[in-house]
Amino acid sequence: MRSNIAVAAVLLALAGYIFLAAGTLPFGTMRVPQTAFFPRTLAVLLGIMSLILLARALAGREALRGGEKIETQGWIRIAVTLMTLAGFALALERLGFLLTTFLLMISLLRAIEAQKWRKVVVVALATALISYAIFSLLLGVPLPAGLLGI
Amino acid sequence: MCRSPLDSWESSVDLIANIGLGFSVALTPINLLFCFLGVLVGTLVGVLPGLGPVGAVAFLLSLTFKMEPASAIILLAGIYYGAMYGGSTTSILVNIPGETASVVTCLDGYRMARQGRAGAALGMAAFGSFIAGTFGVIGLMCLAPLLGRAALSFGPPEFFALTLTGLTLVAYLSQASMLKALTMATLGLLAGTAGMDPISGEERFTYGTLTLRDGFGLVPVAMGLFGIAEVLENLARIGPPSLYETKIKGLLPNAKDWKDSIWPIGRGSVLGFFLGILPGPGPVIASFMSYAMEKRLSRYPEKFGTGVIEGVAGPEAANNSATAGSFIPLLSLGIPTSGIMALFMGALMIHGIQPGPLFISRHPDLFWGFIASMYVGNAMLLVLNLPLIGIWVRVLKTPYVILFPLILLFCLIGVYSLNANTVEIVVMLGFGIFGFFMRRVGFEGAPFILALVLGPIMETSLRQSLLISRGDFSIFLTRPICAVLIVLTVAFLIWPLFTGRKKKTRE
Repeated sequence: MRSNIAVAAVLLALAGYIFLAAGTLPFGTMRVPQTAFFPRTLAVLLGIMSLILLARALAGREALRGGEKIETQGWIRIAVTLMTLAGFALALERLGFLLTTFLLMISLLRAIEAQKWRKVVVVALATALISYAIFSLLLGVPLPAGLLGI
Repeated sequence: MCRSPLDSWESSVDLIANIGLGFSVALTPINLLFCFLGVLVGTLVGVLPGLGPVGAVAFLLSLTFKMEPASAIILLAGIYYGAMYGGSTTSILVNIPGETASVVTCLDGYRMARQGRAGAALGMAAFGSFIAGTFGVIGLMCLAPLLGRAALSFGPPEFFALTLTGLTLVAYLSQASMLKALTMATLGLLAGTAGMDPISGEERFTYGTLTLRDGFGLVPVAMGLFGIAEVLENLARIGPPSLYETKIKGLLPNAKDWKDSIWPIGRGSVLGFFLGILPGPGPVIASFMSYAMEKRLSRYPEKFGTGVIEGVAGPEAANNSATAGSFIPLLSLGIPTSGIMALFMGALMIHGIQPGPLFISRHPDLFWGFIASMYVGNAMLLVLNLPLIGIWVRVLKTPYVILFPLILLFCLIGVYSLNANTVEIVVMLGFGIFGFFMRRVGFEGAPFILALVLGPIMETSLRQSLLISRGDFSIFLTRPICAVLIVLTVAFLIWPLFTGRKKKTRE
């Protein structure tokens, strides 16, 4: 129930922010609508919808659906996975594709369900090499070289 | 054949020539290869939980840059209808739908497998899909050029009304709350306004970043919403896998199976095709509707859910012909009607091709080649799927601890390879987190991605309409086609208020 109220409130705030932020752009007139016309109209619509959502959530009419309870273990897995992916984005152009992919796979293989280190290293190495072969050599995708020079 | 009788002779000659042209494109070795790869990857995607056709098409979109446009769309389409085949396999064998259009197949398909009739169910799903897929392609061939010619007279008001009706209908048909789907659509439209103003070129909401100059990229957003979010959700509830071992014997349905299934397949094909044309998750709705219809028409409705073959044949046929139908609005009007069609539009536009009323006459080789490839692909799937079922079952047993990292890696490479820009990876992660949390509170990703693509079309046509009418909104009601669409939109919006709680598509 609380999460429904929170979502509606965040959406309402977002609508308000967009409405104000679009104020710095020219709105034009109905005859000649300009840049801010469409986003501002949408912000008003979003505001109206989030108010209805808020009212329904407060009245307890909005059933929470799809939100199975997640155990702490699950949240940890999700958090570590997201941090690993963000780390990939940061490291990719500095360390190069091969090394970053190797590290990414090691981190993910340990985070999702701790595997034996030997298996982790072998799978990570194989994935890095095979994906490099497929994407760079076979498909010609430009992948950053970085430290290792390839 | 499908046009007015006056020019029927001329047009059937045309049609034959066009089909010939199509096969000359589809049967070149390179396109055959791409068609094969497409249906193979599609089946794989359909089999594997954790990555749906939308995510897979988004991923491969970035790799189709260097291909010929025809090869690119043949490959991507193969994934889409291939996934419809693959999804049924896992529904039947292990009660895990590989994608949502096969959810309903679990009901009777899995029961049949438990009774040792997995072979008949799999076989009938494949034959039903093949028959329906072929029907859908013929329908697409007849209807798309017709609609395309009609749409030549459309002006900005009609296009605005079309996008509006499309989004509303998607929300109306949404399986969760209509209000929430509309909210997601509005958010998607707003996300679509970031970047350059489509008319004046002025920058909006870019916050000085180069990445946002062209707006939110379709691929990072789609991969985030449908790839990352999906994996995160799976990570949240990892449990011991519960695979049921089935022995598959005799893949061919017997004479009684055929007799029971032939009408459900026929009805499913027609129903699915027309539901596919409408905006929304056509294949999903089509499979549920077909199941409901067969149950109602059956002489033994109480047996549905205990393993009757009609419950497999009808829905599987319906979801396949719906995939063909869903190409019609995109190819003839230039209006995508679902998340995956939005990606197809992106694929065409990357190659500088504008789908719309002029598409078929400007790119006949592309349109007819694509149609012919769908015939070829459907035949390939039939041949491929039955003997390879053993392999797909083994693929399904890939431990998730390997599978999820690989899917994530594919998402990362796919997004990066687009523009070699790591900021887009961050955009993808952002939308992954957004999609994951929004889904937990009942907001689905599909209306968002569709609105993101429709946004610029909608804004441009709305502003042009107002320029034409000098700010008079009655322009949307004085033009007949436009007025009909607006009335429909209003009807879809207020209908649920009168009928109270909307009937759920799920049982």
